[in-house]
Amino acid sequence: MAATASVTTVTGEHTGPPVIATAGLTKHYGTVHALTDLTVDVGAGVTGLVGANGAGKSTLIKILLGLLEPTAGHATVLGHDIDHGGQEIRRVVGYMPEHDCLPPDVSASDFVVHMARMSGLGASAARERSADVLRHVGLDEERYRPMGGYSTGMKQRAKLAQALAHDPQLVFLDEPTNGLDPAARTDMLRLVQRIGSDFGIAVLVTSHLLGELEQVSDHVIVLDGGHLLRSSATGDFLQRTGSLLVEVVGTETERDLLGEALARRGLTCRPRGAMVAIDPPPPELAAEGVAHDLIRDVAAELGLGLMRLQPDRRHLEDVFLEGGARA
Amino acid sequence: MPEAPRSGVIHDLGYRRYDGPRDGTATIARTLFVTGLRHAYGLGRSGRSKVMPFLLLGMSLLPAAVVVGFVVLTGLRSLPVSYAAYTNQTQLLVSLFAASQAPVLFSRDLRHRSIVLYLARPLPATVFALVRWASLAVAMWLFTALPTVLLYLGAMLAGLDKSDQTTDALKALVLQAGLAALIAGVTGLISSVSLRRGFAVVGSVMALIVLSGVVTAVQNIASAEGEDPASVGVGLVSPWSLHNGLANAWGAGLDTPAPVDGAWVPAYVLVALLLIGGCLLGLVARFRKVGTR
Ligand SMILES: Nc1ncnc2c1ncn2[C@@H]1O[C@H](COP(=O)(O)OP(=O)(O)OP(=O)(O)O)[C@@H](O)[C@H]1O
Ligand SMILES: [Mg+2]
Repeated sequence: MAATASVTTVTGEHTGPPVIATAGLTKHYGTVHALTDLTVDVGAGVTGLVGANGAGKSTLIKILLGLLEPTAGHATVLGHDIDHGGQEIRRVVGYMPEHDCLPPDVSASDFVVHMARMSGLGASAARERSADVLRHVGLDEERYRPMGGYSTGMKQRAKLAQALAHDPQLVFLDEPTNGLDPAARTDMLRLVQRIGSDFGIAVLVTSHLLGELEQVSDHVIVLDGGHLLRSSATGDFLQRTGSLLVEVVGTETERDLLGEALARRGLTCRPRGAMVAIDPPPPELAAEGVAHDLIRDVAAELGLGLMRLQPDRRHLEDVFLEGGARA
Repeated sequence: MPEAPRSGVIHDLGYRRYDGPRDGTATIARTLFVTGLRHAYGLGRSGRSKVMPFLLLGMSLLPAAVVVGFVVLTGLRSLPVSYAAYTNQTQLLVSLFAASQAPVLFSRDLRHRSIVLYLARPLPATVFALVRWASLAVAMWLFTALPTVLLYLGAMLAGLDKSDQTTDALKALVLQAGLAALIAGVTGLISSVSLRRGFAVVGSVMALIVLSGVVTAVQNIASAEGEDPASVGVGLVSPWSLHNGLANAWGAGLDTPAPVDGAWVPAYVLVALLLIGGCLLGLVARFRKVGTR
């Protein structure tokens, strides 16, 4: 059935060797445990790295760039060991830091050309690539103006452009939506998604909002106080953790009919608008697809037309918050 | 909800991959060196940033041009000032050039945090620091060498003894190279620590101009009191007195309050080298540290 298919076909599992692999990665700053025993794989496409302030996101990125030495553990990036392959990693990786890093008296155009050259591109290749990536990130005539006069949105675009200038195989984007208004945020997220899919560059993107990354990521890693809270394909994430939303043809009467029937079969239901919101299924119904089949069967038994059966995305935030509360 | 077309968002052309050649570390370092050297003179930067370096350069060339005109027109049989002494007499201009331009190469990247973008690229922090120093040192050396070259051309034009002039000019150029290495190290280190341009400039002025003034005064007093060893010893503590002392010892035509000779010569060389080495270690440590933040 089409409605269920839309749930079950969402998968972000990766094939091929991991782009990033960490094993027992640990970083202590004195008494601050920024990362604790992190073992995780990152594949191609877009991977979201989510965590509250201080969760260790930026620390992880700096370790993977070879800028910070881990206290313990190992990691490889694109097959290079961070211990002695730092230079090789930095040759094929792009980095967009979370903080301001743009000199105010230089134009984005000049700056991106220079940064491309610092990554090893020749003068004319750097100019060509710079014009290309500035166009892709959406900086037009303003690219010739000093960056000191840029809005936050334009600065974020310039920062992104320098990260892409040398056509890396992987980019680390540290909070690219930081400080952006909702429209600019949507633009940036769409761009991030395009980098992963159309550009074919693997992306590790951080945010403290799970909701926004879940829209664009194939895979989500949640860090909590330096610990790995979970790492899963976005689809799994929704299925396993999320509650479900069901909508049937008809009015509130039909809605309640379905809700009551489902409640009798062991699911916790409550109305939400025209839909029935179903809490995460109890253990006996939690197995893959069981809840979906049950809902479909119940709807069929009642002769109700199933309009919609989808994960309740709002619930993702709750998972995240529960994790945060543990810290 | 129909979205208004946002300016600047053009998605029609596809992304192109780059599979052309990529430079190795040495080539990237050379690119950084050349860019830094140009930036020290304001080249490739805003028009305003060219004013200071070229004004100072013009001021340090002007007396040399006057000397050249004078020698050529009057047929004088020697230059009225030696090459090395000329460098010392333009001390203030040279020091101001270093004080004003070192922050361009050593403060800006740290202050605006663009350093993280450099360090996330192939060049290691150590190489970055050394290349930056090399750019400033060569910029400094050119600043002092140009008047020397001008004087030398004038001397040739006036028909002065070619071999004498060549020897003296070459000695001056070598001494200037040492001076440039010293001054670039000192002002670079100061600028990489005090990121506010004003503080960096004041710090460099203190370390070069004020210190040099104090040292010269003490040297003069000591030699007037007949304490020559003290006079020469005090000369170890400032870049300018090190340069002048070595020029004096080498017979490059520069008088110091007391002659630098004997065991003082290796001492001067050693201190100069240690000072350069110490500054480089400091710079490398500084840039390695910022990479981790
Ligand atoms: N240089 C440092 N010295 C000491 N502690 C540090 C240093 N850098 C980070 N920390 C600490 O390590 C922890 C993780 O910091 P990190 O910047 O990686 O978190 P983050 O997930 O990126 O947070 P944010 O969302 O605020 O950017 C924090 O507790 C932070 O205070
Ligand atoms: Mg961070």
